[in-house]
Amino acid sequence: MSENTPIEQETENTTHFGYKTVNKEEKVKKVAEVFHSVAAKYDVMNDLMSFGIHRLWKRFTIDNSGVRAGQKVLDLAGGTGDLTAKFSRIVGQSGHVILADINNSMLNVGREKLHDLGIVGNVDYVQANAEALPFADNTFDIVTIAFGLRNVTDKDAALRSIYRVLKPGGRLLVLEFSKPSTELLSKAYDIYSFNILPKMGDLVASDGESYQYLAESIRMHPDQETLKQMMETAGFEECNYQNLTGGIVALHKGFKF
Amino acid sequence: MNFDKKLLEILACPVAKGKLEYDAEKNELISQAVNLAYPILEGIPVLIEDEARVITLAEKE
Repeated sequence: MSENTPIEQETENTTHFGYKTVNKEEKVKKVAEVFHSVAAKYDVMNDLMSFGIHRLWKRFTIDNSGVRAGQKVLDLAGGTGDLTAKFSRIVGQSGHVILADINNSMLNVGREKLHDLGIVGNVDYVQANAEALPFADNTFDIVTIAFGLRNVTDKDAALRSIYRVLKPGGRLLVLEFSKPSTELLSKAYDIYSFNILPKMGDLVASDGESYQYLAESIRMHPDQETLKQMMETAGFEECNYQNLTGGIVALHKGFKF
Repeated sequence: MNFDKKLLEILACPVAKGKLEYDAEKNELISQAVNLAYPILEGIPVLIEDEARVITLAEKE
């Protein structure tokens, strides 16, 4: 089959990269390229693209985590460390935050930023694949994955892996782009995502393609109910979600008992 | 930047899920169960199967 032949059906060995169907290994490589490319401009682009609202989404995630002093937290696909910075302050010196990401460019940018903010001592950095987490069973009180699950090739494997490393009583929080709840918002959001966003990416980060992928990958990501069911299948209990900004983003929560 | 050995308490091999040992000389994390050595780059352990090195029999002797 030539490279240009569209493959309609997702098979055992293929998956989505935005709207394209690619081999699973190829997706890993392509996602890595996107994040190596955007790492340096990641924070400024987040502020621009979301008009700063991503800070409120993350704040809401922390508020819903129930995090307390002394707890162990895994900030998975934590990228440039926004959540880790907040968790670090709350868990204090008796607690521990692990910032994990599959991409070393993102981790290095994150570590540098947190060091500059004076966040040291209770934070460690680990390069890891969410599908096969390198932590002992029952380790963490809280696992968060913010704007990360979308880029994971095997999301079910990642959810099972997260379940394994959570302590009984621990909770998972998934902050991710989701499905807007009204037609009107959905249309406006489409225009913004496919016309304005890649141009902004091109202008600010000289990388329109990565932001085209971003827009496409958001459309391919499971909607609110589907993700909730996936969490339940992985073993999580009392799963629920809250829509933010009209469902453009959703925060899913689930417990391991 | 040095590897923080306290991390060994919570780290596990992503393949075998068992304990890892720190090899200070080679600056690697060793999973005896599956004969894999994971690199530590600039103090950050790279605990991804595809990035690990297979430990040879000659090394073990």
